[in-house]
Amino acid sequence: MRTAWTLLLVVVGFGLQAVSYFFLAAPLGVPSSPVYSNPRVPFAPAVFILGVMLVFLAAVVYELLPESGGRTYRETG
Amino acid sequence: MSIRVQRLPYGVGRFSAGFWLFILVLLSVVGWGIYAYSRQLVEGLVVTGLRDIGSMGGAAWGLYIAFDVYFVGVSFAGITMAALIRLLRLEELRPVSRMAELLTIVALILAAFSVLPDLGQPVRGIVNLLRYARPQSPFFGTFTLVISGYLFASLVYFYLDGRRDAALLARIPSPLQGFYRLWAAGYRDTPAERERHHRTAFWLAIAIVPLLVTAHSTLGFVFGIQSGRPGWFSTLQAPAFVVMAGVSGIGLLLVIAAVFRHVLGERERLHEGIFRWLGGLLALLVLVYLYFTVAELLTTTYTGHEAEVRLTVALLSGPYAWLFWVSMGALVLALVSLVLPYVPSLVPVRVPSFQPAFTRAAGLAAAGAGLVLMLYRHSPRLVPVAGAGGPEPEWVGWVLAGLAVVFVLSWFPLFARSVVAAGVAGGLLVNVAAVGKRLLIVVPSQTHGTLLPYGPGSYTPTWVEYSVVAGLFALGTLLYTLFVKVFPIMEVAEER
Repeated sequence: MRTAWTLLLVVVGFGLQAVSYFFLAAPLGVPSSPVYSNPRVPFAPAVFILGVMLVFLAAVVYELLPESGGRTYRETG
Repeated sequence: MSIRVQRLPYGVGRFSAGFWLFILVLLSVVGWGIYAYSRQLVEGLVVTGLRDIGSMGGAAWGLYIAFDVYFVGVSFAGITMAALIRLLRLEELRPVSRMAELLTIVALILAAFSVLPDLGQPVRGIVNLLRYARPQSPFFGTFTLVISGYLFASLVYFYLDGRRDAALLARIPSPLQGFYRLWAAGYRDTPAERERHHRTAFWLAIAIVPLLVTAHSTLGFVFGIQSGRPGWFSTLQAPAFVVMAGVSGIGLLLVIAAVFRHVLGERERLHEGIFRWLGGLLALLVLVYLYFTVAELLTTTYTGHEAEVRLTVALLSGPYAWLFWVSMGALVLALVSLVLPYVPSLVPVRVPSFQPAFTRAAGLAAAGAGLVLMLYRHSPRLVPVAGAGGPEPEWVGWVLAGLAVVFVLSWFPLFARSVVAAGVAGGLLVNVAAVGKRLLIVVPSQTHGTLLPYGPGSYTPTWVEYSVVAGLFALGTLLYTLFVKVFPIMEVAEER
């Protein structure tokens, strides 16, 4: 369960970064009109940052969540 | 958990009268900085020395941005050292790992606070950056990725790395027991937990290293890709930013490690090997930076565009010459200081004894000359009395620089005998150079680097800018000092 949550956070984090960078932010390249200077969706840069944070948050989840199968880290070792 | 701790280690939870006095002084400086910033908020940026480029003959970026670049640079060393210790298994350096991580976090907070006063409307600036920033822009990388992503990553690393010690300290009855229990979050230091933490820290370190190289490079690109700004437009900006970041950060880490070695009396844990290792790395980075500087100067003076040459002349022999040569001199002196401890063993040379009285005299003379220079420059009453009515004669600055060099040279016999003293001197000198070089990157290209037919401009920071920067330094010292009193600054040793 712990590994699954960690991987999910990593995938969602990188996914958010990719989506915001390529699809939500202002288009890449030289804009053909000033309209394209702004992000296609407001706060797209904030979504990118959220993605970066989720990836690193995965490390906290990996260390803090209990082991799978009902065993907690208190019972191991 | 096999380790037992009898009482809170490394001065945690023990507060002396001197400590409270120190905190009071720091709070006063922070308060003064807040007051200065409040004047700027009320009256606007007109109370600073910042002006429009060209039309007003000024610089739109000044002390605030120079110190933002400086603080971001300092943050580099912390998490880099922590990551390298983990990845390369540099067990010898483990005692300075947490100091380095904390340095990164504090420096990044200060970097964020340095940008804000440069904005006329700070709140609007923050919101608009998150709302409208373009991913192609290096500003996006610098002011969002660095200050949010990089800071967050450092906090995660710091938190996870401290859980073991928090669990140890949670067993000792103290007013902070609840805080330690919260931090430990059930950690018991079992072999399975230790193994998991090693795995997590390893992957975190792998993820953080490219993030920090990207972060520091984008800060270099903020300047380096501006083709219309001579002095900034250069391929070397990004790598030079990364190297200078390492120089300033490792220099400050050396100073901090020496302070704790002295204050905590931990001569065995903070042994000379650590200073030898960090000093060697610092010397290598200083050499690389000097090479970059020579390459850059040679390119611009040999085949540079007319505007590039004009700017370089302003740096080498014009109004910025004193700052340029002080910075370069500080780097060279730092390099010599760091190499000095090895000279007596390599070359059969008799090292003269250290003369504290001579050092004190040279230091007082340099400080006095500096004070006179400051008063002359900033007091409107003194200028007419001196009869100049403008900038002071050039030789005054050179006399001050000469006295400062004599002061540093008088310490050399001590540096030749102590690798710790040499490390502290090297660390302080490279930080003087780092601040100077950051100012030289930010300011001259605006006052002397315009491609439009404007005359040369000038920039002189006001008391508001100096006070805000002093307040930021005091805030950083305050945060660091307070943390050291609630959590061990070094990993609790096995034998405790």
